[in-house]
This record gives sequence, C-alpha cells and structure tokens, in this order.
Amino acid sequence: MPSMDAISRNLMLDSLKAYARKNISNDFIREKDQANEFPAKILKDMYDHSILGVHLLMIPEEYGGVSGGTYDIYRICEVLAHIDLGIATSVFATFLGTDPLNVGGTVDQKKKWLERIAKENLMVAYAATEADAGSDLLNLRTRAEHVLKNGQLAGYRLTGNKQWISNGGVADLYTVLAMAPGGPCWFLVEKEMEGFSPNKHEDKHGIRLSNTAGLSLDNVFVPKENLIGEVEGQGLVQAQAVFGYTRLMVAAFGLGAGWEAVEQAVRYSQQRIQAGGPLSDKQGYTHKLIVPHAVELEAARAYIEETAYRLDGGEHGLQTEGAIAKYSASESGNRAAEDAIQALGGYGYTHDFPVEKIKRDVKITCIYEGTSEVLEMTIYRGRWQEHLKTRGRYYADIADKMDCLHAANPDVGAGAAALALRALAAVMEECRLAKLTRHQAVTFKLGGLISLAELAYVFAQAAAKDKYSESVRFDVQAWRAMARVYARGAALRIAAEGLALVTGAADGAGGLAAAVDMDAVQAAQKGMMADMDLVAAKLKQTFKAK
Amino acid sequence: MHIAVCVKQVPDTTEVKINPETGTLIRTGVPSIINPYDHFALQTAMGLKKLHGCRVTVISMGPPQARSVVQMGMALGADDGVLLSDMAFAGSDTWATSYALAKAVKKLGKVDLILAGMQAIDGDTAQTGPGMAQQLGIPQVSFCEKIDLDGRKLIARRLIDGGYEIVEVKVPALFTMIMPRDYVPVYPAFLETHASLKKPYYVWSAADIGAEPRYLGLKGSPTQVARIYPPQQREKAAMTGGSAQEAAEKILEIMRKEHFIAE
Repeated sequence: MPSMDAISRNLMLDSLKAYARKNISNDFIREKDQANEFPAKILKDMYDHSILGVHLLMIPEEYGGVSGGTYDIYRICEVLAHIDLGIATSVFATFLGTDPLNVGGTVDQKKKWLERIAKENLMVAYAATEADAGSDLLNLRTRAEHVLKNGQLAGYRLTGNKQWISNGGVADLYTVLAMAPGGPCWFLVEKEMEGFSPNKHEDKHGIRLSNTAGLSLDNVFVPKENLIGEVEGQGLVQAQAVFGYTRLMVAAFGLGAGWEAVEQAVRYSQQRIQAGGPLSDKQGYTHKLIVPHAVELEAARAYIEETAYRLDGGEHGLQTEGAIAKYSASESGNRAAEDAIQALGGYGYTHDFPVEKIKRDVKITCIYEGTSEVLEMTIYRGRWQEHLKTRGRYYADIADKMDCLHAANPDVGAGAAALALRALAAVMEECRLAKLTRHQAVTFKLGGLISLAELAYVFAQAAAKDKYSESVRFDVQAWRAMARVYARGAALRIAAEGLALVTGAADGAGGLAAAVDMDAVQAAQKGMMADMDLVAAKLKQTFKAK
Repeated sequence: MHIAVCVKQVPDTTEVKINPETGTLIRTGVPSIINPYDHFALQTAMGLKKLHGCRVTVISMGPPQARSVVQMGMALGADDGVLLSDMAFAGSDTWATSYALAKAVKKLGKVDLILAGMQAIDGDTAQTGPGMAQQLGIPQVSFCEKIDLDGRKLIARRLIDGGYEIVEVKVPALFTMIMPRDYVPVYPAFLETHASLKKPYYVWSAADIGAEPRYLGLKGSPTQVARIYPPQQREKAAMTGGSAQEAAEKILEIMRKEHFIAE
C-alpha cells in the first residue's frame, strides 16, 4: 500500500503521543516492568477504534482500516518504541499476525477476518516459532492433518507446540504455521477453539510489558476455510514475502528505542556538572558515548526511509534491504542504549532511570525477526550474488555515482562513501579470488561491512536533498555533518577490517592493501573532530535539559 | 445552528528555543500544534453539536501546512473546513487577521456562533477573537470556560478576577475560550482522522472572500513587530527566614542597602 498523506499520518502520530503522555507515565512503565505484567487496559485502548485503533494501519480501507503504507508504519513503530518496546511489540505482533492474511488470504478471507480484526479490535498473534524451528522454519513440527467428512475435506486437526509467541497469552486470534500434507500453511485459530491453550507468560530479560507465551495445540479442529489462501504449501512463501517489510518495523524499533536512550543521555549530560562544567561540554564524554550513536541512528533512519519509499512505490521483496535496515538499526540502538547507561553513570545503573530498561528492551531487536547473525548471512547472500552477476561492478558503480554526488555536494560525505564502496568491492573481489567465502565467519563479516557501505551512501544521498523528511529533527548543517562522520567511519572500518579479514583468512592478501586505498581513507578523516563538535552542539540544542 | 470555530497552528512553545546570539526563534525540528485554547474551543463546539445537532465549520488562516489543524478539527467531528491561504495574508497582524476571518465567516452565510481560543500561545495577544466580533458587529464574550445553548440564547460561564460570571447572549455572538482546569484534550482516533479526508475542505484566497488587499498583510496591519527577544532573566529572589519580625527587619536592611529607602 502506498503511504498516506503526511497530515493524516502526523495527526495519528499526535494522537498516539497524546494518549501515551496521558496514560503511560514512566512510573507506570517501571511498575509493570518490575511486575512482569502485560498492561491489558493500555493495549485494549490502543486497539479500540474509537480511542486510537493502531491496528487499523495494517488493514486496507475497504475492510475498515486506514490503509497505512510502509512509511506510515515505520513512523508509528518508531513512536511506539519511544514509549515502550514491550507495548510496541504487542502492537507489532498484531501487524505480523495480520500479514499472512494480507499477503495470502483469499478475497473472502480478507473480507471476513480483516473486517473482524478492524471492527472487533482483535489482538492477533503470529505463531511460527517452535523449540526447534526459529530461523529455520523448515524444521517445523506442528502438524495439520486432514479431517474428512463424507469423503470431503472438512478441515484440519492441528497438533504441536509453539514457543515465544508475542501476545501468546492475550490474543483473540492466532495465525499458526503448521505442516499440512501439502506443505507448510498458515491457519487462523481462535482462542476459544477446543484443544488450544496458551502456556505461562515468560519471565524475560526485557520487553516485560509484552506478553510472551508458548502455545499448546492438542488436536485443535480448524475448518478448511481457515487455511490462509486455501491452498496447502504456501506458508513459507507467504512468510518470506513480507520480511523486507516486517524487518523494517523492527528496524524502527531499534531506531526509536536507541534514540530514546540517546535523548535521555543528552538531556542528562547538560545537568550533570563535573570538574566545573556540564558533561555535555566535554568531548571525552560526548564524542565517545553520544555522538557516534546519534550518527549511526540517523544513518539507519536514512536507510529505513529509503527502503520504505521503495516499498511504498511498488517494489516487492527488498529482503536484503530490510535485513540491512534491521541489522543496522537494531545493533545501533543496542549500542546506543548500552552507552546511555554509561553516560548516566551510577544513575544509569538504577531502575529509577529509564535507560537500563531501554537497554534490556532493545536487545530483543537484535534477536527477533531474524537474529543479527542470520541477517549478516542474508545480507551477504543477497549482495554476493550481485557482486558475481556484475563481475564486481555492483559497488564500484554506486561508488561512481557517489563521486558525481560529491562533485555536486562536497559536504555530504559522498566522497568518503565512494571510498567505502570501492574498498568493499575490492575486499569482496579478493574474497572471491581467494575463495574465502568457504569460511562462514568471512561471509558474516562481509554482511556487516556491506551494511556499513550501504548506509554510508544512502545517508549521503539523503543528506544531499533540498528538503528532509518529516522525521528528521536536525537542520541541514547538522544532518550533513552526521552523514560525513558516518561515511568516514564506514570507509575506515571497511578498509581496515576488510584488509584484516582477508589477511587473516587467505594465504596472502594480494594487492588488496593498494586496492582499498588506505591513504585516501586516512586523508578523508580530515575534519572529523570539527564535525563531531558540531553534532555534539546540535544535539544539545535539540534535546535541551528538562 | 451553525458554529464556526477559529483555530490556529502554532509552534509548540514548550519546544521553541531562542538563539541567544541573534535573538531569533529556532524553529527547526519544533513541532507545530493546534493552539491549545482553540483545541478546547473545538471540543466545546463538539459538545454543543452532540447535544443540539449543530453544524460545525473549522476555519484557519495560514500557510498550506496549516491544513493540519483544519483536518484535526474535522477529525474531531466538524462537518467541513476552510483554510484561508494566500500570500496576500502574509504578515497580517491581529487586526488584519480578524478582518480576513470575519470576511470568511460572512462568506459561510448564516453563522450563529463563533468560537475561538482566548489567545494563541505564540503571540499571547488575545485580540483576534474580539477583533472579529468588532468587524462583524456582533456581541462578544471573552474568557469563557463553558457554553450552554438554550433555544437561540447562549449562556456562558466567564472567568473574571477572583471568580466567574454567567452571561446570557442572543445569537449571533462570538466567544473566546480559556481552558478550564479539569480540561482533558481529546485527540481523534485513527479512523476519524482517516474519515476526515472525505469531508468538504476549502482553501480560500483573499479574492475568494472578497477581502480588500489594503486591509490585509503588512499594509493592512496597524501594528508591526519591531523585534523579538527573550525576556531578561530576573535575578533570583533572596529568601529571608525566621519570624515575621525578623524577616521584616531583614527586608528593611536589604532595602536600605540597595537604596530603595533612605538609610
């Protein structure tokens, strides 16, 4: 679905923020977090179409929803993550649970179920994971056996166990992945169905406001109309069709939670006086604990937005892009929260200040919807194919474009991004020549380096625009400085770590040292300190102490 | 009964920063919101609509992005919306603005009741509402916190120093609203926002409302902003402790020292 108009989107965001201001205080969240309790009333309100109706974003207008596009959902997810990642996860579970219907449901199924989800404010859960089937869904053990009536297929009997299902104990409707005789399928299971029961709410490290439970399915009869798509064997295709999109939502969670942590640290740093001045004025503090994270998060934002625009523009799949977005945003969010604890010192280590909870919460974004390691592999696989297909030109061509961009806009980091891309192309080519991708560790590492290079060039492109998107809270000067800082860092890491990777795995590193052009990468670092100073000052200006 | 509610889009002043060197407002990244008093005026209109089935029109004047506050009004239940948007309006002070708004109300036809916020949080002038009443030649009741409708008569509870008064007015009339202490702003549900896109929405230029250019913009504005600057920070108050007698003696001592009174 294309995204909605900016005014409607922002009115919805305002309504959500206003609801949170009024009903979800820090004390409330802390209490629920400590009690490991699902805030049922809050979620009921959020799903109530007369109060908020957040779930309607995933439902097309013709079925009673508001037809949100990818960009809209990214924006809502970021705001939800600022509020609480557990609450966000509960909303996300409904988005995810609705997806198989949106992707694979027949017209009649969509009409019946999407309308019910919209009108009856149904909370949905997405039940795929099992004890032995996480990232590897083919290992699925839950079975769906045919039930015949007068020789005709009447329905299925589902038997098996699901694990770590968000909304598992509280949902009204479940989309359950099970192995039918014709292959994996999604089934719609209602909470009242006989033989169906949720297990205990898990005691988790973080997102403790999100209900997570296992599910037991003991001979649960499901009518054949509840098989999504009404054709067996489509389950995995339906699941994978939306990864580009669903991973963008988790990317937005990493972004929102990470920024919440950074904002808390920036505000605190202006109040905390040490050695005669506020911490916010001390480079040893800002340039280590704050600025790098703000920069990484904004690079991730640029990448998320670019991917969202493309999906809303009608492109399909974008699995690699979705993986890069999620990998980068969640890892950056996690690092940002870790350093926010450090930035608040002793206060950060207590439950009285929210950063330690954010840290516990945000870790999940590196795990669910594909762990960071699975994503490194996905990213490598996707782009390695491009590298081979183009005979090594894939990143070299983008680097040429960056040179053009740099000529027109010398202040957006495009020059350093070009160096990053060329270094990456050289590292990948050396890996091909020396057959280094036989080492799994090399492939995963390449996944990480690819992400750095892609964010660098996408950020430079975004920073060069005349007008920034509504989500950017910085002016041109600040955002361009951030793009430069990111691109320089990406070039340096790709060159140094790529060279080390190849040297460590190959018999010799050939001419790689010359190909990555370390001298140019070093020279590109000029101006780094001034840019970091500028970003630190802008952060202080944007997030004033309360 | 036809109610027109005037709303304004304002920067969220809790987020506005002032550049200490130039004295100008830093607007980058500062969200725009509906003026909170206007928000309450809208809710008051919706309350009357619920009880008496009135038609409600939201009106605003501003750049194209001010459509946001008009759409919010429609999402909250107004039947239609109007945005006065034209370069000719740029730079209008409160008098020129009230002239344009009054012209728009006239174009709407028979409007019985006009509601507006007491003042906007960006300028705090509290002049535009009363200015409109003057331009339209209708009675006005300012600083109201509650309005009831009884036939063609409106009964308003109006705040005054040290208390309140009850005022009865016949329509047509204009009321400006304060925010009662127990007021809880209502925001539209997602579905209401989505549905508001289908409501009639008009953008009117100066020509559309038959406004004369000489009464608009800087030209039509008797007041002009010479300079914006942050208020001088006052010195911290010195607190005196002890009994009343001791405190009085201490204050006298300070006043003598600072030459407020003779030694």
